[in-house]
Amino acid sequence: MHAARLFFRLIVRPLLREPLRALLTALAAALGVAVVAAIDLAAESSTGSFQSSLETLSGEAVYEISAVGGVPERVHGDLVRLPYPGRFAARLEDYALVGPRRERVPFFGVDLFGDPVAGAAAAAFRENLGERLAEPGVLAGAALGYVEGDTVEITVNDRAHRLRVAGVLSRSAAPTEDQDRFLAMDIAHAQRLLDRLGKIDRIYVYDAPESEAWQRAVRAVLPDGVAFEPAGARSEGNRRMLRAFRLNLRVLSFIAMIVGAFLIYNTIAVSVVRRRTEIGVLRALGASRAAVRAAFLLEGALFGLAGSALGIPLGWVLAEGAVEAMSATVSSLYVTSTPGEIRFSVESVLAAVSCGLGTALLAAWLPAAEASSAAPSAAMGRARIEYDARRRSGAHFLRAVFCVAGGAALCFVPAWNRIPVAGYAAAILLIAGAALATPAAAERILRTAAYVMARLFGAQGFLAARGLAASLARTSALVAALATAAAMTVSIGIMVGSFRDTVILWMNRQLAADLYVRPVGRGGGGFAPTMAPEIADRIQALPEVSAVDRFRSYAITYNGLPAKLAFGQVEVHGRRTATRFLEGPAEEKIWASLAAGDNVIVSEPFSRKHDVHAGDYITLPPAGRQAAFRVAGVYYDYSGEQGFIVGDRSIFLQYLPDPRPSNLAVYLHPGVDVRRARQAVMEAAGEYSIFAATNRTLREQGIAVFDRTFAITYALEAVAIVVAVLGMAGGLLALVIDRRREIGVLRFVGASARQIRKMALVQAGLLGMLANLMGLVLGVGLSLVLIYVINEQSFGWTIQFHWPVGLLLAGLTGIHLSAVLAGLYPARLAAAVDPSEAVHEE
Amino acid sequence: MKSGETVLRFSGVSKRYFLADRAVDALRDVSLDIAGGEFVALTGRSGCGKSTFLNLAGAMDFPTSGSVAIDRLRTEKMSAAELDAVRRGRVGFVFQFFQLLPTLSAVENVELPLQLAGDRRPRARALEALELVEANGLAARLPHQLSGGEMQRVAIARALVHSPSVVLADEPIGNLDSESAAVVMRLLRRIADELRTTVVMATHSLESAAVADRIVALRDGRIETVSKGV
Ligand SMILES: Nc1ncnc2c1ncn2[C@@H]1O[C@H](COP(=O)(O)OP(=O)(O)O)[C@@H](O)[C@H]1O
Ligand SMILES: [Mg+2]
Repeated sequence: MHAARLFFRLIVRPLLREPLRALLTALAAALGVAVVAAIDLAAESSTGSFQSSLETLSGEAVYEISAVGGVPERVHGDLVRLPYPGRFAARLEDYALVGPRRERVPFFGVDLFGDPVAGAAAAAFRENLGERLAEPGVLAGAALGYVEGDTVEITVNDRAHRLRVAGVLSRSAAPTEDQDRFLAMDIAHAQRLLDRLGKIDRIYVYDAPESEAWQRAVRAVLPDGVAFEPAGARSEGNRRMLRAFRLNLRVLSFIAMIVGAFLIYNTIAVSVVRRRTEIGVLRALGASRAAVRAAFLLEGALFGLAGSALGIPLGWVLAEGAVEAMSATVSSLYVTSTPGEIRFSVESVLAAVSCGLGTALLAAWLPAAEASSAAPSAAMGRARIEYDARRRSGAHFLRAVFCVAGGAALCFVPAWNRIPVAGYAAAILLIAGAALATPAAAERILRTAAYVMARLFGAQGFLAARGLAASLARTSALVAALATAAAMTVSIGIMVGSFRDTVILWMNRQLAADLYVRPVGRGGGGFAPTMAPEIADRIQALPEVSAVDRFRSYAITYNGLPAKLAFGQVEVHGRRTATRFLEGPAEEKIWASLAAGDNVIVSEPFSRKHDVHAGDYITLPPAGRQAAFRVAGVYYDYSGEQGFIVGDRSIFLQYLPDPRPSNLAVYLHPGVDVRRARQAVMEAAGEYSIFAATNRTLREQGIAVFDRTFAITYALEAVAIVVAVLGMAGGLLALVIDRRREIGVLRFVGASARQIRKMALVQAGLLGMLANLMGLVLGVGLSLVLIYVINEQSFGWTIQFHWPVGLLLAGLTGIHLSAVLAGLYPARLAAAVDPSEAVHEE
Repeated sequence: MKSGETVLRFSGVSKRYFLADRAVDALRDVSLDIAGGEFVALTGRSGCGKSTFLNLAGAMDFPTSGSVAIDRLRTEKMSAAELDAVRRGRVGFVFQFFQLLPTLSAVENVELPLQLAGDRRPRARALEALELVEANGLAARLPHQLSGGEMQRVAIARALVHSPSVVLADEPIGNLDSESAAVVMRLLRRIADELRTTVVMATHSLESAAVADRIVALRDGRIETVSKGV
């Protein structure tokens, strides 16, 4: 028989006869593809093109020279005097809040005459530039919308300034929004404005002669602790840091696709079961095995293609929604990010199509192989098919045991390149194990449930359970699909819930001060804004205040990854908080060693990421020197993924003599009214722009950030559940259609339409319950993998296991209700079956 | 108890099916009284209205006009729920293709009518019914483990288990070899004779119809002749 004819007879015609079911399956596939595409696009937009916004004006720079705490200005002079070609552009870098909307934009001090990038952009102003800038004015990026002569209000660090716009700059002929959102100022003016005389942040090197001699000459000029590296290192470091984050999101997005795969599998398996007789006859008439397999694979491909076609535009829409949430996450956990435009490239379309198509073909493989193995003309009754399915369920169960054991073993394999490959594999094995165990477990449970159901719902309850137990071949994939969605809800619920509780506990210990003060200006990319030292002194002098802890943090690069080097006043902090240490001696001993000499503590993520432990020595590059520090302890920290190195202020001021703190922790005398004290603190700051948050506000903000961070995971869960419920509706529909005759017989032997409807609904409910049960078991297993393997290996946080009982109950109830809801229409259909017609059709 | 009394009464019954483009009159002005314990055979060629007659007799459907009364209860005035109740309590069906639920064992199939009527402990009565059809040895078997004749005997047990007033059999031997057919016919005869349960059987085999007390020949939805059987 001709392959196309075969395909038409076996696949297309039956699909056309049940358009609703075909549509549901395609829709499920589409949602899967959409989620994968959406996460991909959104991640690309919010992190992929991630470039530190401070690199906006770096142009074609080849190298960059920088140091923690700034490079001494004279270094620039030394470099310029080197007898080599190549240009050195000095920069001061900061962030400014601009205009009434307080938009955060990079603020640069540049050499307007010598800078190859800013200078070229300013060419138009070259003529009177000296005059224009004699009075401090700024050049505004074109996208900010100012015109020459405007007054712009900006806040940098703790000071507000009113500046005249001396000109508008555009970086390119066709400026993209991002590139042209910045402020630039003559570097000398900027140094004065920011009170940073004698310091520059970065020197870009252009048109460098790529000779070793030149490199050696440059290095000879640079003091110890000044880094000389290829330009773009910051963006590269950010990208590397974000890799794990993106990977985890991507993996999460695949779960919806896995659920979709189960459903495609189910649809095709049902096709095969139903057309068993027809396949046999066609084989007897000369259709080859390969042709039969191809026909069913093609059915899978059809769903994959339809899913991709629907899913890609849907993914675009979802990406628009996801990108906001994702940037918020990236900003709060990593580095400040401004999402770029969502771009659909040819590659992303191809990726989505191949994901949809590949998954569908993979899902179709098994049923197609089974179809092709049917002996010619061996017309098999349903009972025989189900008998085979039951016989196989034992073997599957054995395989399931192996899968679970393999998964458990993989949990002990360390990460590869900070990617928890084995952890992901373990998760996949667990899911596969659960799917393989489903038929056996479902049968066992349903057989027992039949008697309970008979008690609860009478004959229809019994019949519902028995009917399901007897339809394993066509229902176990449905259960596996919904169970996977439920497991995702459970595992992520447990992981996020545990994480949340862990963070709350940690905050309760760690945040012991009454007020936290920061400058109004905002930083970015690990770059903390600072405030004048006298603010702290004034606050300390207030009668309400008992102590002030001055805290300063610097963005550094450690082993090619961004990290934070910070110091506070151990004599204040150590006595008042109960920091929990993971490694190291008793807390008091650690504080004592910090105050005594060159000791630091590091946060848990830092320790894990760089494999640095208590007792190790690490080399840090504070300005002017390269110095070794002993790690006195490793402490629990959940404030960021980059990792902290923390030391004592009095020690570190020797290396980084800038006395400006970035944050203050203010401890009040007992009994002082916090709100009144906050008012006093804000007033004490006087002309400085600072912000004081109460302990409570800070904690609330912390939790709000946390919740926002995980909002997207909930959205992904919801999609996975929707996908599963769509499949459930389709599967239940198939069940009703296939059992029309039995439904008819039941009507003849006395069942009312209501009883039939109830039976179908009980079946939907039973499927939901089974899925929940399997999902709960699988989900708890997955949550252990998530918490103790994947999370630890990719982020380095210890999460204390907690049962978020309320969340789980709500989630599982929701899934159960959705399953019943999905059964409403099929149940109505079942009740409407015309008994005489159904019984007499053969 | 039912002997002699009219168990099933058709008075001027017509049934019209509406198809997309035309109407089909499956029964036209049929009037017939059937007494308790009577065995009636409906004959006629395919499409003459036998199954329709049985459906109406079994409260599966309403007549278009006229009246059908089962145990004096007139179905045309009933709600769907009342029809269900009548069918559940007073009617048993036997089909040409047996129609046992493939996923339930023989005895579980027989229990169905009792269970659907709310009986929570139907096992004893189901076994009794199986014994009546000489099939108690088959109780635990699944339908695909039974021969055609055995399946039909189990189906008859299912039709009897709730002691209905009338057993309606639609071509009960249409799918059986002659030996099994003879067994089934003997059983139906016994049901009428010993249990005094009315049996109405549709068949196009005149030979089997001869076993009945009365033979009603249908043609194009009308009663053509009524004749005595044995
Ligand atoms: N549900 C129905 N819809 C439309 N026509 C029907 C339906 N059931 C039966 N008929 C028609 O009614 C007539 C009688 O059918 P039926 O009672 O099944 O005859 P028999 O059982 O004697 O073969 C036939 O012409 C048949 O096509
Ligand atoms: Mg008929």
